[in-house]
Amino acid sequence: MLVKPNILVVENDITILQKCRELLLDEGYRVRTAESVEEALNITQKHPGDVDIMLLSLELPGWAGMTIIETLQKARSEILIMTMSANCGEEAIEAMHAGAYDCIRKSFTTDRFWTKMNRAIEAFRLRHQLDILTRERQAALTRVHRDGQTLLSVLNSFTDALVVTDWQTNVVLFNVAASRLFNLNEEKAIGRPVSVLIESDELLSFFIRAMKSDGDLAKLMAGEEPVIKTGDKTVRVHVDPVKNKAGAIIGALALFHDVTRVDAMDHLRADFLSMVSHELKSPLSSLLMQISVVLDGLAGELSPKQTDMLGKAKEKTKGMITLVNDILDYRRLKEGKSIQKIEALNLAEVLQRTVELMGLSAEEKGIPITSEIAEGLPSFNGDRGGVEAIFVNLISNAIKYTPKGGNVNVSLNKEGKGIRLMVVDTGIGIPPEDIDQIFEKFYRIKTEQTRSISGSGLGLSIVKGIVEAHSGAVHVESEVGNGTTFIVSLPGTR
Amino acid sequence: MKKVVLVDDDVDFCEATKLLLESKGFEVVLAYDGREGLEKIRDEQPDLVILDVMMPEMNGYDVCVVLKADPALKEIPTILLTAVDREMFQTHYTQHMGLMTEADDYIPKPVESAELVKRVENLLSKE
Repeated sequence: MLVKPNILVVENDITILQKCRELLLDEGYRVRTAESVEEALNITQKHPGDVDIMLLSLELPGWAGMTIIETLQKARSEILIMTMSANCGEEAIEAMHAGAYDCIRKSFTTDRFWTKMNRAIEAFRLRHQLDILTRERQAALTRVHRDGQTLLSVLNSFTDALVVTDWQTNVVLFNVAASRLFNLNEEKAIGRPVSVLIESDELLSFFIRAMKSDGDLAKLMAGEEPVIKTGDKTVRVHVDPVKNKAGAIIGALALFHDVTRVDAMDHLRADFLSMVSHELKSPLSSLLMQISVVLDGLAGELSPKQTDMLGKAKEKTKGMITLVNDILDYRRLKEGKSIQKIEALNLAEVLQRTVELMGLSAEEKGIPITSEIAEGLPSFNGDRGGVEAIFVNLISNAIKYTPKGGNVNVSLNKEGKGIRLMVVDTGIGIPPEDIDQIFEKFYRIKTEQTRSISGSGLGLSIVKGIVEAHSGAVHVESEVGNGTTFIVSLPGTR
Repeated sequence: MKKVVLVDDDVDFCEATKLLLESKGFEVVLAYDGREGLEKIRDEQPDLVILDVMMPEMNGYDVCVVLKADPALKEIPTILLTAVDREMFQTHYTQHMGLMTEADDYIPKPVESAELVKRVENLLSKE
């Protein structure tokens, strides 16, 4: 619907005033009238909404030049001024210079009046429309600005430091935490390469990889979020690509999580665990030796009941020793220390030693261990302790879950360019519903048969961790009641 | 009768192990720290030495170093026995470079009684 402007007619000639008023009223316009400049100004001030167009006579008594037009233009630029004069001469042109729209001769006919008025009304409407558009744009800009501010406030509320770069790894945005952590300021940082501001080659490589990734960076970075030191802080870094709406990578963002305290705690924990391991293992060794000696009858003869109970005590003690070892192995794995030193290893020799070592407890249980080692195995590089842990865990599991009368067979064979270790038992087997979870930490199968078997539930997760650290793979095949086979594939030396 | 000197600050472990080895026909002399251990080794001239690593006064490594540097004692087979974590042991090992090649065997604690006996007999039969 078209806007109908409200009109103020300012004229001291009552005849003309009335004529204008009637013409306008007939067309349904709201009209106010004034007979002097003062009255007109008064109305525009008191009822600003009532005046959209002012029909202003240039022949009012006490007319003081173009002041009123200029004043109105300044104060109420939205009012469209239409002048009226006897002949629309010099003064009308002057008025138009001052901002008036046009001039109507006072000797107008109805047609003539409307021709001029309609043009003025049309002009008013256009101006009005423009105003609305301008206001809308202004509002939109304000909103955008406000949204930006909100986003910035959110970013600044992060305790983690955030740095965003463009695709050339120049810094484009960072939050307050980042400016504190890296001592950045707008002037120093924006547009500068991130590598200049944060000196870490590792970090730079992650930024570059983020740009080149196809969004699979999470996978790429799994388990290797770099930890960098900056000043006295230790921070863990996570880098992700930044994409535009079309999915193209336009930059990268890095989040820095302060792990200074965690880091310190880790050291404490490591020291604590080493201490605990020694402090626990020493008394446990005494206990084991004491129980064994008494069990062997070296401290006097035992009744069958005493032998039975001490036998159980010995098993429990050994369970605790395994637990302590598992926890230590697991911690090493978590700290990425499962590989201490890579050296050329003779797997056959390591396996034979392990089998020899475990053979004793297997014989005690009445489960013979047999081993088959193929000739001409590919050479292998790995960590001796880690490989021992793989063998010990798999073989002790096999012994543990095989009832008396069964047997355990271990073998090493060539598998392509690598080596395949198989540990086969004739034990109780693994139910299909558990088989997917057995490599998860602390997972233990709970059945009637396993209830009396102690363990930490860490052994297989340790095996998996160490095997994978050697770029190998482990999997399992099992049939309930018939036994289980663990197969470890390790790569040969290239 | 073969003579063994066992050096360990854990008295309970020493006593139980003494019983074990005696039952296998060894004569066992005990010492409860490194310094005392070294004295006993010198006095007794044993056929074999078992050394705990972490001990007060003088640790097992140091005792081993002295033993192996002494022409009169260096031929005595020596076993290092320790509850020290593998990782820590390796660190110690690198600090005391060459020590392991001089000690004749290394046994992590806890050790099964049968395993200990086997290792001791192995070393003595090599002579």
